[in-house]
Amino acid sequence: MKTNCETVKNSLGAWLDGELGHADAEEIRRHVEGCPSCSGERRRLERVQVVLSGVLETEASRVAFEPFWDGVRRRISEERPRQARLWEWARPAFYPQRIAWAVPVAIVFLLAIFSLVQYAPGWRWGVNRGNVAAVDSIDGHGFNVAVLRESKTKTTVIWLFESQEEDDEASGEPTAKDPAF
Amino acid sequence: MDLSDWELVQRCQNGDVAAFQELVAKYYRKVYMVVLGILNHRDDAMEVAQEVFFRAYRSIQGFKGGSAFYTWLYRIAVNLSIDFQRRQKRGPTELRETMDEAVDNAEGASSANDPFLDLQSKELGQRLVAAINELTPDHRAVIVMRAIEGLSYKDIGRMLGCSEGTVMSRLHYARKKLQEKLGPYL
Amino acid sequence: MMKLLESRLRRTLLFSLFLLPLSVSAPAGEKAPQGVQLSIGTILASNESDDFDAKLSKMKNQLEVIKYSSYRLVKEESQKVPWNGNALFEIPGGRTLAVMPQEYRNSRVSLKVRLQEGEKPLLDTTVRIRNRGNFLLGGPAHEEGVLILSISATVQ
Repeated sequence: MKTNCETVKNSLGAWLDGELGHADAEEIRRHVEGCPSCSGERRRLERVQVVLSGVLETEASRVAFEPFWDGVRRRISEERPRQARLWEWARPAFYPQRIAWAVPVAIVFLLAIFSLVQYAPGWRWGVNRGNVAAVDSIDGHGFNVAVLRESKTKTTVIWLFESQEEDDEASGEPTAKDPAF
Repeated sequence: MDLSDWELVQRCQNGDVAAFQELVAKYYRKVYMVVLGILNHRDDAMEVAQEVFFRAYRSIQGFKGGSAFYTWLYRIAVNLSIDFQRRQKRGPTELRETMDEAVDNAEGASSANDPFLDLQSKELGQRLVAAINELTPDHRAVIVMRAIEGLSYKDIGRMLGCSEGTVMSRLHYARKKLQEKLGPYL
Repeated sequence: MMKLLESRLRRTLLFSLFLLPLSVSAPAGEKAPQGVQLSIGTILASNESDDFDAKLSKMKNQLEVIKYSSYRLVKEESQKVPWNGNALFEIPGGRTLAVMPQEYRNSRVSLKVRLQEGEKPLLDTTVRIRNRGNFLLGGPAHEEGVLILSISATVQ
């Protein structure tokens, strides 16, 4: 490690925290001992640490255990079983005057849904999923016809082999125009 | 982990509240310091520190002793404090006012009760409080964990869910900022 | 207190009764679909190149089911037809596609489809597709490849 002041100052914190390897730590120690600037920096760093922990320790020493524990115990005793908490949370909804409002609100809500549905003819409960078409009847008028349904893309393909019957007799090999599903 | 802590934890897991009380007595000041260091507000710190123990009690059944109890506890403390700080969205001025008040009180208080008696000067204390307020909760967390417990970077990283390198760089930044602010008073 | 409660409940009941006819009349006012917007996209698929027409990007997944290397949108046409009305679409190669929407039930449109070449019928089929959905009809030879028709219907 090149021990110029800039490098040392960057690692000074980690050194004081004991987070450097033995060799690096030793090199920094030697530099700091012989360098007034870095030695001053070390003092300032330690001072910050001491002042901060001093402030917090004196503040914490003023907190008495009894009132602190009372606060914790109060929280613990207020803790109710989950079902009780759920009921407490939901109970206001069952106050008679709220139910009195809830009934018309629910009706208006349902009305709004029904009204919106008529503007979206494609939308119905539970149906209308996917794009797979149902083929009710099919007549190829002498041509071969294939129906392919691909589940991943929900695609339905009807394929008309326009020249297949004549070709079949000439050759069993597929032509370049045949699809390869 | 400390055997006595583990014994107390096991008793808590069997529903012994008195055992939990012992654990609270052992760690409440340290937890309060961590929270205060991050929040810089006495009343909030008291609320959050109590909440930390309540959360610990509620989830103590899930504590399997994989880490030291205090590491687990500090992790709850740090996370709750950072969450609280973010939820509050309180400006640094308000925070500073509260702790400045502490410094002012210290000036008028008798030396035996003065919380800032250990400071070489009250001016330095005020500067420090102001400087800490300008750090982000994440930066405050690392500097407080290091200052209070002298925890290793590895432990701090584990508690904050970040790498040792991140802890090192956050500490370096936080210390630099504090030094800049406190410069002539150090 | 009880009186206040009773009067509130009574008012609520009256209000609910007032709303009830509205809830019944609303679905009754639902209009039956007037017709169908039919859209036909004519695509030329071939193995002559690897070009994929950007205008077909929305159909890329569907077209990949049919393993040609090149797809080009040749023609796009849209017509609005009443129920049981006949829509005729000119298809390249002297072909005609006739589509007749028959009914709309359970969110599906039933379409009677005829493809013919001149006067010669090639295919007759009845297909039920989802509203705004489509199906592909392919096979007729054209130029260096084959034609694929994307037939879609939107209830108006």
